[in-house]
Amino acid sequence: MIKQKIWIAAAAFLMAMPALQAQKYFTREGKVSFFSSTPIEDIEAHNSKATSVVDAETGRTEFAVLIKAFQFEKALMQEHFNENYMESGTYPKATFKGQFSDWGSVDLAKDGTYPVEVKGDMTIHGVTNPVAANGTFTVKGGQVQAVSTFKIAVEDYGIAIPSVVRENIAKELEIRVDCNLQPLNR
Amino acid sequence: MKKVIFAVLILAAAGAGIGYYQFNKPHQNMERAAAEFSVSAEALFGSFEADEQQANEEYLDKVVAVSGTVREVSKDNNGQLSITLDSGSDMFGVICQMDELTDHEGFSPEPGQKLTLKGKCTGMLMDVVLVRCVKM
Repeated sequence: MIKQKIWIAAAAFLMAMPALQAQKYFTREGKVSFFSSTPIEDIEAHNSKATSVVDAETGRTEFAVLIKAFQFEKALMQEHFNENYMESGTYPKATFKGQFSDWGSVDLAKDGTYPVEVKGDMTIHGVTNPVAANGTFTVKGGQVQAVSTFKIAVEDYGIAIPSVVRENIAKELEIRVDCNLQPLNR
Repeated sequence: MKKVIFAVLILAAAGAGIGYYQFNKPHQNMERAAAEFSVSAEALFGSFEADEQQANEEYLDKVVAVSGTVREVSKDNNGQLSITLDSGSDMFGVICQMDELTDHEGFSPEPGQKLTLKGKCTGMLMDVVLVRCVKM
């Protein structure tokens, strides 16, 4: 009877092992902003409800944002962005699925600053493109912060900008990502 | 002839005025916005979980009044307040990001409290997300 219990405990322990290693970090309050800069005007929009998961073991990551949650300073721009350019009624989300390269040198359980590169597939406006970006993980006292700045070209995602405002909107947008990740305990 | 030039000038000025107003048109006033739907957080989350596409068609960009029990109150480092309402799911809820253009002075809900918030539904990631929320 006791022997049996030991076996069960050992089996449970062994089953828990991979779960311990497969620690995931997670946020539902990630910040994603984009910036368009032209000589005529600067436009920016902010979203603070991105979700992101980083698998600390494998270095795989996923991101998702709701397009309609981007807030602009001007109501008219927000309207054009949603209705004419992003068609967010049809394509409500943008997603990114990728893999950090050289993940072996990153230990999210240990304080430090880790420069990383991520490569993966970005889907915006229903169009998927390969994307690579540089970023940094900063781990301090159990807090994991992930930041990245990269550029994407509007036309890569099949977004048509009418000629009247073509000079007002940059061909390449700068995207800034800033996430405070929490350990995910299931 | 003079009259024609005058008329054209007035039309041009009016056009410019309308254009300028459109360009600077304010964001919708959320406190005055009428809610198109009144649902519980459980029901809203449930309809997204059951059929996301259909729920998108129904709720996306609509002003929705959602009632529920506060699970979590959070403030980010820019001071933006978000309230998560219980959805009946263990992991996920209905996140209401409070409106930055509305004054929420004196509004400090506690977990466990029941309340109704009104905001724009932006869809579902893992949680259903409403932005520009105000209390009702």
